[in-house]
Amino acid sequence: MIPLHWYLWLSAVVFMVGVAGFLMRRNIIIMFMSIELMLNAVNISLVSFSRYLDDMRGQILVFFIIAVAAAEAAIGLGIIIALFRNKVTAHVDEANEMKG
Amino acid sequence: MFSKHWMLIAPARCGAEMMELLWLIPAFPLAGFLALAVTGARMPKRLAAIIGTGSVGASAVVALFIGMHFISSPPQGHLSSQTLWTWIEIGEFRPSITFYLDPLSLVMTFVVTFVGFLIHLYSTEFMAEEEGYSRFFAYMNLFVCSMLILVLADNLLLLYLGWEGVGLCSYLLIGFWYKDHANGRAAMKAFIVTRVGDTSMAIGFILLYFNLGTLNIQEIMQRASQAWPVGSTFAVAAAALLLGGALGKSAQLPLQTWLPDAMAGPTPVSALIHAATMVTAGVYLIARTNVLFTLAPVVQEAVAVIGALTLLIAGFSALTQHDIKRVLAYSTISQIGYMFLALGVGAWSAALFHFMTHAFFKALLFLGAGAVILALDYEHNMFRMGGLRKELPLTFWTFLIGSASLSALPLVTAGFYSKDLILWYSLSSEDGSPWFWAAGMAGALLTSIYTFRMVFLIFFGAAKGRVSRKPGMTMKFPLLILAVLSIIGGFVELPRIPIFSEFVKTALPSAKTLHEGLLGEGMQQVIASGVSLIGVSIAYLLFLRAPLNVERFTSHPAGKALHRFWFSGWGFDWLYNKVFVGPFIWIARTNKDDFIDLIYGGMAWYGRFFHVALSLTQSGKVRWYAMGITIGAVITIGITVFL
Amino acid sequence: MTLNDLAPLIPLMVIAVSSVIIMLGIAFYRSRAFSGLLTLAGIAVAFITLFGVQGTRQVTSLLILDDYALFYIGLILAASFVVALLSSDYLEGRRENIEEFYILLLLSTLGSSVLAASTHFVSFFIGLEILSVSLYALIAYTRNELNIEAGVKYLVLAAASSAFLLFGIALLYGETGTMEFSRMSSGISAQGINKGMLLTGFALVLTGVGFKLAVAPFHMWTPDVYEGAPAPVTAFVATVSKGGVFALLLRYFIQVDMHAYPSLFGAVAFIAVASMFAGNLLALLQKNIKRILAYSSIAHLGYLLVAFLAGGVMRVTAVTFYLVAYFITTLGAFGVVTMLSGKERDADAVEDYQGLFRHRPWLALIFSAMLFSLAGIPLTAGFIGKFYIVAAGAGSALWLLVIMLVINSAIGLYYYLRIIVVLYAQPGHSEVSAVSSLPLTGSLVLVLLTVLLLWLGVYPEPLIEMIHRMTMRF
Repeated sequence: MIPLHWYLWLSAVVFMVGVAGFLMRRNIIIMFMSIELMLNAVNISLVSFSRYLDDMRGQILVFFIIAVAAAEAAIGLGIIIALFRNKVTAHVDEANEMKG
Repeated sequence: MFSKHWMLIAPARCGAEMMELLWLIPAFPLAGFLALAVTGARMPKRLAAIIGTGSVGASAVVALFIGMHFISSPPQGHLSSQTLWTWIEIGEFRPSITFYLDPLSLVMTFVVTFVGFLIHLYSTEFMAEEEGYSRFFAYMNLFVCSMLILVLADNLLLLYLGWEGVGLCSYLLIGFWYKDHANGRAAMKAFIVTRVGDTSMAIGFILLYFNLGTLNIQEIMQRASQAWPVGSTFAVAAAALLLGGALGKSAQLPLQTWLPDAMAGPTPVSALIHAATMVTAGVYLIARTNVLFTLAPVVQEAVAVIGALTLLIAGFSALTQHDIKRVLAYSTISQIGYMFLALGVGAWSAALFHFMTHAFFKALLFLGAGAVILALDYEHNMFRMGGLRKELPLTFWTFLIGSASLSALPLVTAGFYSKDLILWYSLSSEDGSPWFWAAGMAGALLTSIYTFRMVFLIFFGAAKGRVSRKPGMTMKFPLLILAVLSIIGGFVELPRIPIFSEFVKTALPSAKTLHEGLLGEGMQQVIASGVSLIGVSIAYLLFLRAPLNVERFTSHPAGKALHRFWFSGWGFDWLYNKVFVGPFIWIARTNKDDFIDLIYGGMAWYGRFFHVALSLTQSGKVRWYAMGITIGAVITIGITVFL
Repeated sequence: MTLNDLAPLIPLMVIAVSSVIIMLGIAFYRSRAFSGLLTLAGIAVAFITLFGVQGTRQVTSLLILDDYALFYIGLILAASFVVALLSSDYLEGRRENIEEFYILLLLSTLGSSVLAASTHFVSFFIGLEILSVSLYALIAYTRNELNIEAGVKYLVLAAASSAFLLFGIALLYGETGTMEFSRMSSGISAQGINKGMLLTGFALVLTGVGFKLAVAPFHMWTPDVYEGAPAPVTAFVATVSKGGVFALLLRYFIQVDMHAYPSLFGAVAFIAVASMFAGNLLALLQKNIKRILAYSSIAHLGYLLVAFLAGGVMRVTAVTFYLVAYFITTLGAFGVVTMLSGKERDADAVEDYQGLFRHRPWLALIFSAMLFSLAGIPLTAGFIGKFYIVAAGAGSALWLLVIMLVINSAIGLYYYLRIIVVLYAQPGHSEVSAVSSLPLTGSLVLVLLTVLLLWLGVYPEPLIEMIHRMTMRF
């Protein structure tokens, strides 16, 4: 059996990739994808913990996370479309009317 | 908790429930203030007058009922207290909204509400032509409420609230005619000078709280007498600090300079705040904390010395003033000096008694002066008055009664009985001395001279001004009532029939007399009566019979200098300007860029610097913010895991 | 498990059901009045049913409706009620089809209430997401440029912070083997725990929660979102969303005894100090009222964390009282902003308030009262709250934090008084202060809030008693 920490390392690396993408990409859609990546990294560790603890609750939480991520994406896309209508761009750095 | 009290109002039941109404006494004026403040200038004058006067009248009625009940069936231990609620409760720090009624606070409450009511009534006519009519009554109601909180407070914090409240109202009312800059300056002066005393008092309160661990005044007194031996450092320090506050509020040496200028306010204000009630708060404070002063004989001695000096200095100054209100102001300082003298020699109840009679006749004199001033179109200078006896008969007679009482003319006047008591104790008490007695006697002579100088200048001689307005009923009525009180007010404490001191003795210890043999009480009364009559005669000779003598004296260079010296209130303003104000401004000017300024400037600079620096982080860019969150997460992990 | 066991959930169900009813109602008949009244009725009914909650309060392992939760839910419902009242007049004429606003409002209220009642990571996550997802839409609701910018910022950052939070949850779950708060400490004391992973889990949860509470260094989104969101929604973000999260934070770290982890304590202390300084310094010369209030709320959450760090009985009292005072003042302040806002833009520049006292004396007085309370001047609720926090901090000998708090209160005084001075200055020429007439409901709400503010400042005893009773059974 593959030891637990292999999964955890995988999860951590995927999470870091997500964070890096989130910080570096300027396109808001790609930023959103990076967040999905982070959430999926969490899912990996939850599922593996669940398996090792022999406890189903971790996997249940994963379902909730997937569902919520879908809802978030739906609302998010709505707002992104509104942004696009206003600015004709999906670059987040364009949205900085407010500062200081 | 509140609803319980509401239920008790409905039927006026006897027994302990009567005391439950205590909270209504300050509540009425507060409600009046709120109503007047909320509606502001939109309220019709008549309604403002009704609310303003009615609220104080209502609390006077409640005070009367409670007082009657208190006298007829005294509560256990002659005191009762009513806790409404606890404000904050943290350990020993438990300031509650509690009113405490004992004979001392009952007398104060009675005077504040009754004299207050009469003065409010008087003001409805006096202020009728003024702008800001409802503003005036709002301030006055707030003042009465604060004063009542002050005298009924059961803990230091509540007392302080009332203390600052009356200070605030005094400031607002001195500067009531704020369009004239001089009035604003006078208000500022009163505020700043009393603030010196207030600061000292606040430090004293903090000292008491930290050493005795309670805010409750009665507990403080109890614990102080157990914890501190007579003359111990703490007792002396605490008493001295409280004395500082009392000196400021009561305009005693060396903080007396604000009171004459405070006369810039409307005359009813002078009558209520700067004569009858607020200025005696210092007397109340010392009487309330008399245990502390007994523990600190040095300070108590100082109280007597200050009182004696003040009464003389103010008496001389009163002698030279032209402005009728300034005469009365100096006279007030001088009379409070008598009260301090009484407190200093341990004659607590005599001080309270003089406070009461003084409130009656001084309010009467101020209101009479107001009627004169109004009649002569705001003329304050007594040398431009004269012969008003015929034009304003009622004002004349009541003013005469007030003057007689102030000069302590024997037997019939209230002032005679109260002042006589002070003079007697200043000689015969354990802490008394012939010097105090002599000062008191000299002061009595001065008092009757300046008082009757005033009477003769205003009401006798040739008429100089034209009477344009005569007082109406609402102004005459308070004058009449106060005149009656100025006479019969003294009969509650006759020699050998001391009803008043019997009544207050549960709250204020009776004076210890020693030197019974030196001069009999009867003998001293005869002397005192003689002195006041001599004063009146001197005034008659100097100011009515032969005013030329005075002029000859004042035109002589030495006389002129002395006159000017006294006129300016012994040059205290000049002295303070030279010693404190001048150097302070000089230091402030020359030291504009000193290192202390650098500290504050530096703080402001750093504040701005960090503001600008941090504002740069608020770049408005999402990715930058995301970076912030990530870095924050890294820092948090760093602290939790590796620390 | 029977249906009876779900009975304590009735208040939450009422909120959920009312939102569904409004949603269905809109499908048949669009009416602003209908949706608005139904929302108010739903919140009111839910509030009333709070008093009927009895019996076993623990509903499954997810939620508990104990007195503590009920108190916070009551607070959240009251705040939503105020926001619903304020927004009805505000939304008029800003966009068509405003009925959905109320659905979102009810849903986010539901999310916040779930947070206050949750005892399990799953309900924590669900509550948080119900709250956040509805907030994304609420913030961008009137769809002008600033709204959408604020919505985008909140969306992206909140989603990312949720990911951090979830990673923390996953680590804690892996280490303790449970997601229930009450069993977590026994899981921790079991053998074979990797301390590093556990603490990382705590830190990541703190990150996620810190973002929602807008404490430094996770605060940077706050001013932009506060400025961009419609004024009533800003009031909602500042109160309801933070109240629920703070209630949860307090419950979680009392059940998992935080004081057992000195380094975690240190991290929270760092966050508290950083928030106080960042908030107050950023607000110092700020010229936009909404941003000032945003920065001030950062500082206030910092003060709250000081009480949170204190141990003992005082902690819950201090935190809860302060939150109540903070709710009242924040709603009041944003209420004034809402009332003055014109259709073009919100009244958020400081110049808009110049000389407000001359033409709107009442509004100026109310605003001053709110600012005085935020500054902690005596005889307002804010003073009592701050007093309790200082007392709690001093009681636990957190001297450094208390000194920081006092210094920051002094800095804070500057910018609050700056606004008050402007209120009473000579009137400038701003079109905003010349709004023709003020809506009646809003005025009544503001007067009520002011009365409450002064009442709690003078007579806080009943509320303190209530909080004491609540904490006794905690």
